[in-house]
Amino acid sequence: MILDLHNHSIKSDDGRARVESYCQWIRKKEIPIDGFVLTEHRQYDDESDYRALEDEFGLRILKGSEVETEYGHVLVFGVNDDLRAAFDFTRIDLPLATVLEESGRCGAQAVPCHPGRPNVGLCAHYETRGVPEGVEIIEVASGGSRAGEDEAAAALAERHDYAGVGGSDAHIVSHIGRCATRFPREIRDEEDLVAALREGGFEAVRWT
Amino acid sequence: MMVEFGDEFEFQPDVSMPTVKSFTTEATRMDFWRFTDHEKARELGGLPGAIVPGIMSQGILAAAIHRFLPGSTIRKIDTIFRAPLLVDSSPTARGVVTHVDEEEGTAEIDLTLVNEAGETPVLGTAVVEVARAE
Repeated sequence: MILDLHNHSIKSDDGRARVESYCQWIRKKEIPIDGFVLTEHRQYDDESDYRALEDEFGLRILKGSEVETEYGHVLVFGVNDDLRAAFDFTRIDLPLATVLEESGRCGAQAVPCHPGRPNVGLCAHYETRGVPEGVEIIEVASGGSRAGEDEAAAALAERHDYAGVGGSDAHIVSHIGRCATRFPREIRDEEDLVAALREGGFEAVRWT
Repeated sequence: MMVEFGDEFEFQPDVSMPTVKSFTTEATRMDFWRFTDHEKARELGGLPGAIVPGIMSQGILAAAIHRFLPGSTIRKIDTIFRAPLLVDSSPTARGVVTHVDEEEGTAEIDLTLVNEAGETPVLGTAVVEVARAE
């Protein structure tokens, strides 16, 4: 199963895409993904119900979050009430250690994203802040990356033996499906996604 | 409607130094070195070179819409600036129709300025009132 793990809708302050339009675009352009995850900035969207769109377009639509730490931005999958009570998603200075520890404790999975990006990526902070404990997976293919950024992420993953996922970091409709993650099994919901990430065996894929 | 979901268009805008200077000195009176002097932009501004003014980028995207849909009215346009677009580079302005409202007679369009490396330093969206065929 192939899922694009990193996308933003109009629920994010800088997102300009409606979820229905993402679905239409994927089908119109025959993008070979089975679904996508909405990772809205600094929040978890527990209001929107995309089940009708899932049925209409035959796509899996899951929800996560993108939070902000001193090491840069981090995707969180499997967000639940326990995790939302553990730290304030709206903060832009969350300790990475807290996000990693609490995600693990609450049955979620934290994944630092676009690590090669200046300021908001992991790589930039390793030299000054040291290597953080507890990172297991990073985003090695990002649709929003500039030249050299994914290469830096891949080198970081290689150096520290991190697993790698892919996501488009789409903020507009036509940017979805640029990068994704191929899993060796079916994923039905957010809990399943966390389980699949913990099991391993997945790989990042890129079409652009 | 004259457009359909998924319609795409593009053109190569001129962001050479003479054109940018014309824009900043004659059209907008924004004659700042970060737009018109590569060396100062690098040395004083820490930039990779002189950069295309944001409002010029937005103007280019608006022009792209009107080339694609002559006679249309832009109801709303917004742009997000993710990285500098360099003067004397060769970007491509691209648009994609991502929603059509037949009743309202409007289309939503994704807009991007893509540089030679395939990166997207400028992106945005627009809502356009499409001119109806006579």
